[in-house]
Parts: sequence; C-alpha cells; structure tokens
Amino acid sequence: TEAIDPTAYKYQFQDDPYLAPRTSAEFKLFSLSQESGRSAAKYFINSNPKFFTKDFAEPHIPCLMPEKVSLLLEEVSEEALKERISLRKVKAAVDMYDQLLQAGTGVSMETTHDLLDLICLYSDREPVQEGGPETEDVVRQEGWRIRRASDFLKTIWRENNNAERIFNLLPERDTHCYSALIRGMIRHGAYVKAFDMYTDMLNNRMTADVRIFNALISGAPEVREKYNERWDLIAELLNQMNQQKVQPNLLTFNSVLKALRRCGSLARTQALHTLSEMKALGIAPSLASFDHTLAAFYKAASPTQGQTDLLQEVMSELAGSSFTCQDPDDVLFFSNVMRICLDNKDIELAYRVQSLVEAGENWRLLGDSHQQTIYYGRFFSLLCMMEHIDVVLKWYRKLIPSLYYPNVQGMRDLLQALDTDSRLDLLPTIWKDIQLLGHANKSELIEELLALMARETHSPEVQESFAVCALDVKSVFNGDRGTLSLEWSTSALCHITSLLLRAKRTQEAWEMLQLFKAKNRVPSEELMNEFLLECHAAGAPDRAVELVQLSAAFCLPATPRLAQQTLKDFDLTDEQR
Amino acid sequence: MYRCVFRAVCPVRQPAAHVFETCVLPARCVQVFRVADGGGAKALSTTSTSFCEKSDGVTPPERDGKRSEDKDSHLSETANSVEGKTDDGSKVIRMAEQREDSAVLKTSEGGAAPQGGVTVEQEVGKPTQVKGDVAKSGKESLLGLLGAMKVEVTNKKKLKNLKAKQRYEPAVKPNPAALESTISMFQKATAESSAHSETLDPDLVAAASAAASTLPNQSQAESELLRQLRRHEAVTEAQRKGDMSNLGVIIADMKVGRRPNRQNARPANQIRFDDDGQGYTHDRSITAELDGVRRRRNLFSGKRLGIFSPTTDEDKTPPPPAKPTIWDVDFANHLVLSTNQMPRNGFEEMIQWTREGKLWQYPVNNEAGLEEEASVPFHEHVFLEKHLEEGFPSQGPVRHFMELVVSGLSKNPYVTVQQKKEHIAWFRDYFQQKTDILQEADVYLN
Repeated sequence: TEAIDPTAYKYQFQDDPYLAPRTSAEFKLFSLSQESGRSAAKYFINSNPKFFTKDFAEPHIPCLMPEKVSLLLEEVSEEALKERISLRKVKAAVDMYDQLLQAGTGVSMETTHDLLDLICLYSDREPVQEGGPETEDVVRQEGWRIRRASDFLKTIWRENNNAERIFNLLPERDTHCYSALIRGMIRHGAYVKAFDMYTDMLNNRMTADVRIFNALISGAPEVREKYNERWDLIAELLNQMNQQKVQPNLLTFNSVLKALRRCGSLARTQALHTLSEMKALGIAPSLASFDHTLAAFYKAASPTQGQTDLLQEVMSELAGSSFTCQDPDDVLFFSNVMRICLDNKDIELAYRVQSLVEAGENWRLLGDSHQQTIYYGRFFSLLCMMEHIDVVLKWYRKLIPSLYYPNVQGMRDLLQALDTDSRLDLLPTIWKDIQLLGHANKSELIEELLALMARETHSPEVQESFAVCALDVKSVFNGDRGTLSLEWSTSALCHITSLLLRAKRTQEAWEMLQLFKAKNRVPSEELMNEFLLECHAAGAPDRAVELVQLSAAFCLPATPRLAQQTLKDFDLTDEQR
Repeated sequence: MYRCVFRAVCPVRQPAAHVFETCVLPARCVQVFRVADGGGAKALSTTSTSFCEKSDGVTPPERDGKRSEDKDSHLSETANSVEGKTDDGSKVIRMAEQREDSAVLKTSEGGAAPQGGVTVEQEVGKPTQVKGDVAKSGKESLLGLLGAMKVEVTNKKKLKNLKAKQRYEPAVKPNPAALESTISMFQKATAESSAHSETLDPDLVAAASAAASTLPNQSQAESELLRQLRRHEAVTEAQRKGDMSNLGVIIADMKVGRRPNRQNARPANQIRFDDDGQGYTHDRSITAELDGVRRRRNLFSGKRLGIFSPTTDEDKTPPPPAKPTIWDVDFANHLVLSTNQMPRNGFEEMIQWTREGKLWQYPVNNEAGLEEEASVPFHEHVFLEKHLEEGFPSQGPVRHFMELVVSGLSKNPYVTVQQKKEHIAWFRDYFQQKTDILQEADVYLN
C-alpha cells in the first residue's frame, strides 16, 4: 500500500513485534540504537580494511567497501596535502602546508583554496569524528538538545589562527580566499572582522561573490544595534551586490528575511518587498522564506486574533506543491505555521497545512522527530480545542501512534475534549492508551482522569468499566507493575473509592478506606455520605458503626451528623450505640 | 479587459458591511472607477457606501462632486473582485491583472449629492450585469430620485456604448447574440418597468433566462439570477414602504459579505471579455479563484525592493560550474540531516538503496557498471594487429608469438582496450630489450 497505514508503527522498526516502539522514549531509543548499529558496522569496516578486500559485488558497490581513513602519503608533496584536505585532517593539512612552504615548493591556488576552506569551516579545529562509537547520529537524533547546546558552544574564531596566518602569507589573494575567510568568520562568530575583511576586499577592488554576500547579510544584525541601521546595512550590501553584478540566489533572500526577523517593526514591510523582489527575479521562494516572513508578522506571544490573512495567502500560494529542502530552515516552517494556527484558533487553515504536508514529498520537510512531535502536538491540541469529539477521535486514531506520541499535555487536551463532548465513557480506553504511551506514572494526568470519572454518576455499565479502570489505577499507585509507585493523594483516593462504591464493589471500597488510614489521608465528607448510603442500602449496621468510628478517628466535622444519621436510619443494637 | 455594464444601485448598507475591493493597478492605468452604492434611500442617504476601485490608490477626482466617503484608500486585503452590491450578484468586476489597457471606462455619476448614489459603469459585457440593471429599473421608479432617473438614462447610453465598444473586443465573445437579445429585453423592461410587485416581472424573468442561456450552467445561473432578483425586489419593497428595520433584516438575510456574492460571481466571471483570448474560464471553485487573485495581489504585488533587475537569459552567462567546495558539501550534509530521510515503507527503502547503489537497477541491465566500455567500439577490441606493425619483426617466431597473443587478447572480453594495449606494449619493450639475444639466435628477422 502506498498510503500510510495508521495502525502500523514506523517502517524502520518493523522487524519484531516485541520491538515495536510504544512510547516516545522507546522510539528514540530504538532509532538511536539502529543508527548506532549502522555506524558501528561502518567503523569496523573502516578500521579493518584488510578483512574486506574481496569484492563480490558486480557492479561494484562503493558505499559498502571500506573507506580510506588513514593517510597513505607521507612525503611532503602537494598530493599529500590534497589527501589530508580530503580526509579533513585540519592540523595535518596545515602542517603539510607549512612544510611545503618551507621546502619552497609552491602550492597551487586551487589547493590553497581548499585548504583555506577546510580551516575556515572548522575554525582551525578538528572536525567531530564521524563513525566513532559516539555516533553523529546521536547528535542528529538527540537533535534538539544537543543542537541547542552546540549552538551556544559554537566554536569561536580565535585571533591569529592559522587561517589568517596563511591568508596573510599568500602573495596574491583572490575572491575565493576572501570568501573562505569571510564565511568562516561569520560562521564562527567573528562578525566585525568579517566586515573588516570585506571592506579590505573592496579596497583591493575585487568583486565578491554571492556566497560572501549571503554570509555578510546573515551577519548584519550582529554588527548593528538599531533596527533601521541593520536594515540600512542590509540594503547597502544588496546595492553593492547589484553594482558588482552579482546575481542573488535563493539563499541570499533567505538570509535577508532571516535577518529581518531581528529588525523589529521594519520587518513586515520589507519582508513583503523582498518577496516581490524574489518573484520579479524569478527565484521561487522556499519554505524558509515564507517561514521568516510569517515570523515577522505573527509574533509568538502577541495577540493577533483572527488575522490569518497573510497565512492564508501563503497557504494558497503553496497549496498542492511539493517541495524539496533547499534551506536548512525549511523544516521549521510547518511547526511554526501550526503554531500560528493554534494561536489564532484557525482550524480550517490547519487542515490546509495538513493537506500540504501530505502532498508529495513534503512530509520529509517536517524535520527530525522532535520537529515532528511539535508539529503534530500543536495540530492535535488545536483539533481537541476546536472540533467535535468524533473528528478528534478520527484524527487520534490516524495520528497515534504511527506518527506521533502525545505527551502529557496532549493527553490532557484529549481528556478535555472528551469532557466537553460528554464522551466520558471512552475514558477507560483512553486510560489503556495512556498506559501504553508510558504516561501512567504522571500524577497530574491520573488525577485528572480520576476526577473526570468520578465527577458524576453514569450508567451502570459505564460505572463498571470505570471501576475496573479505577482498580487499575490503584495498582499503578501501589507499584504493582514494577513502575515507580506514586504517592497517594487525597483526591485520588477519594475518587477511586467513590468509583468503586458506585459500581457496587463494596468490599474493595472498604479496603480503600483502610488505605486511607494507612496512608494518613483524610477522606472527604461526600465519601462518608456515600458510604453511609451504601451501608444503608446493604443493610449492614455494623458497617455503619464502623464508619462512624472511622470518621471519629479522623476527626471529621461531619462525625456527629453521621452518627445521628446512623442512629436514625439503622436499628442498632444497644452495644452499637 | 473587462467591460461591465455596471449598475450599482444597492440597497442601503452599512459601511461596515460591504466588502471593498481594491485592485492595485499599474500606474499607467488611468481609469478610475467609483462604484458607489446608491444609498438608496431615505434615512440612510447619508451613508452612501461606495466601492472604490482605484488605480494605484489614486483618489478619483471628484468629478461629480459627490461625496464619497470611504471611497479612497480602502485597500483592503480582500478579494479582488468587487463585490457588487448584493442586489445584483452579478456585479463582480474582475479587476486586476487583465486590466492593463488604459481604456477609459466611463464613470457616470448618476447619483448626485443628495442621495449619494453613484452609479459607475464599467463596461463589462456581462449580460448578467445588464440583468441587474433591470432590477434597478424597478427600483428607480420606486425611488424617484435623480439617481434613478439618471440610471435609466445612462443605462441606455451604456448599452449603446456597450455595443459600440464591442467592436474593440478582440477576444471571442461568448454570445453576442444572446447579449443583444438581453439588451433588447432590458430596454424593453426599462421602458415599461412597472415593478412594485412581489413577484418578478416576467420580463425580468425572460431577461434572466436569456442571460443564463449564455452561461454554461444554465439552470443554476438562471435560478441564481432569479433568486437575486427576488431579493432585490424584496429590498426595494421594503425601502418603498419605508420600513427600515425590515430593510435591515433583509440586508442581514442577504448575508452581505463574501459567500453569496462569490457564489453569484461565478457566472459573471465566466463571461469575461478579456484580451488574452481566454474567453470562458474554467469552472473553478470560487475560493480557489479568489485565493489565486488574492494571493497575487497581496503577497507579491507589493513594492519591490527595487535593487536588482531581472536578467534575461542572454545576459547572464551561466557561471562555470564550480567544483563543489567543502562548504557545499557541508551545506548538503546539513540539509540532509535536517530533513527526514527515513523510508516509510519497503518501496522507499528500495528506492533509497538503489540510489546508494546497494540494489541493482531494475530491469536488470547486463552492462551496468560498464558504462565507459560502452563507448569503445568493438573493432578496437578485436582487431589488434595494427599494434603489431611497429616494434615487432614482421616474420619469424616473435611475430608468430605475438599474433597468438593478439588473437588471445581479441577474444578476451574482460580487459579494457587500454589494458590490451599496455599488454602489447609490454611485450614490445620486452622484445626490444632482448634484441641481442634474439639476434644471436638468428631469430630476429627484421
């Protein structure tokens, strides 16, 4: 089948049903383990190439063969330098270059370019080892956490590092050298220096190329403080670009738009202008351009009630087309758009976004698993808020668990939706799902669930199912399943007890009362009343007396009233009086 | 280019209720329309709401000296088509992109100041527009104000102009005949407009059916037109009776706003006399149409930065394809990492493997992996004697031997031509080195 099967889990895990991921934690774990297995295999192949010399495959499959990871050429030559560059060994390459210079042999311009590129990309540090036991896929899958951290720990462009040194040693520098340096500086945070180098370049009457401009534009907000100054700088750069007859490309405009996000109120008008410019030049905007533009218009916390006009236009523009990823920021588009829909409570638009996601290959642009979770989470909460419960349940079955594992908030939204549409009879099934998803140890979720169940009395069979559910919850609390046992709270105890009572499971209810005592929690007054009624209905006066004694033990204010009622309703023996 | 005969006599409407369309036309378009709703009436005469379409937001000159509130600069972000007042439903003027010509559209201001009713004509050859005028005729007599009279007058003028202008239409006219008949019917209706009846004038009905006959979906259009006419009648009735609250109810019932008008706008849109030779447009859904129009207007129609100029293909020489630098590799890596590349099912996994080379390409090609060999003609493999011409003796055991070598090589499919040549070259060098031994053995006959 070509369509997505909502009852199946992700294809990559379809091996052993025991290994089907049921919670988001399992999902992460399994995908990480898959990736680490692959990289471990690769590591073995690469480190022991002598075992993999015989090539069975016809035609030859290069990606399964061991890669060359160790240096072969040791002599001082340009070949060796090129080899080091291709293997991305920064330090070795720099050493080799120095040796070559000392030996007097010239190094070709091309190789120098490559060398400078290498150094600037990694800011004179060694690149992260790929294929080692700590896989790069860990970086990818752990995705957001490590990426955030690495954003802050971005490598700093040190003063007088090798790149600058080599650059200064060059007899003649051309555009490519400058571009390598400028891009490296922007990437690693030395913005002012980059601009200085650019002016240097202009003074030497050289034209820059489009990549230099892209880098400079993206670095513009860092070198100016005020909004209009930033925009002026960007505009000036664009004008210079035009003067130097450099054609802008998509990335240019995307960097303009991204920089505009930090230009405050100027962003709105200028973003639209930029879009028109792109259209006039025939450059099709990518999702990232739209993302930046929308971000300029829809700030996260400001109230824009109901004004989704721009977003609607964007959606109509994009409707039905399939995209490839052209900019790393493309993947943020969908989750941001869904956030806007959520803020504006616009369900129609959300449906359109969803249909865009389902069109063609766009699902790839949802990003990694974290972005996907965000997107689907927002979509689901919007659905729960706005739609009828049947629709919500339809989407629930569609999305979960094949595409999305809801978190606690998502489950609470679902509970709320059930409550709104009075479908509380579905609660036990939802409870099972909660257990499956691994949220059964979240106390607030359980509290809410119990409260919803216990709030009103329902029909007998519903009550019965509730009671079963309540017993289930009780076992969770007791830690019967080996999960972490939760602390009993008063409300939980009360709710469970009342549920059991309503389902006429008096014995268990009495056990619960004992639990009250054991856990030092005080039962509520309604509970006592219910019990009394129950005893009355069951005709068990001694129970009633016990009840009164219990309540006296708890020093409940209702004790006297209970006593009176007991006296009134029951025929007590003298002893019991 | 549209010509619409456009009569806007609209029931009173709150200014807030109408929908403004503005189209931002290129600067050279000098036509200015003012579509004002004839305030009809009585108490609301002060609130003549006007629909303006202006080119580039130029305030229309107050040629008629009529006050036009909210005429100007109500550049709202709504759909392009002017929602004509609801009463005709068919008064959608499709502006925008097609209107580049600076044809002068007449704006006749029928409504003078007191009533503020301004009728704007735009020539759109829509018989349905004409239709609307019929309704107006009833209203005109009802109102008895100058606007009404003028409308009638200008109607006739308009019609004549319409006919006159029709010869400017290069495009295919859907049904000029029908148009003529509609016009004639209109004139008839105008002449003997009686109106004030809850039921529709039979002439109106006849005109409606004539108009509808020009449209593709005849019955639907007809029913829509008739429905609109009935609505208009109701409104005019209410106005005549001076029942303002009723009017309000009726107007509310009309659901002034987007949907019904757009619904009715569809038949009108389909009869467009436009220059680009489209004639009938496809029957798209209204929202898609208006979405398209809206989008083009608002997202990309703003002012440009004006920094770059689009180059033509002749101007720009394609830049020499640069060797992918490490930056490009890094960028590509980043892209791949950020998107979701996991296959969703077995097919996608197989596609991915095929791309990586792990899986054969189906249907299986026997010569996969041997692409460069495909370009080598077979005779270079087989006829290798020409390599024996220099460097080797032409007779004798050496030659005999080499001929055997060559015949063996020519039957070898596994070795490339280059390797074969090297093989022979090796032998050449070898025998060159051993020349003296061969001469000693009297074998080397040259």
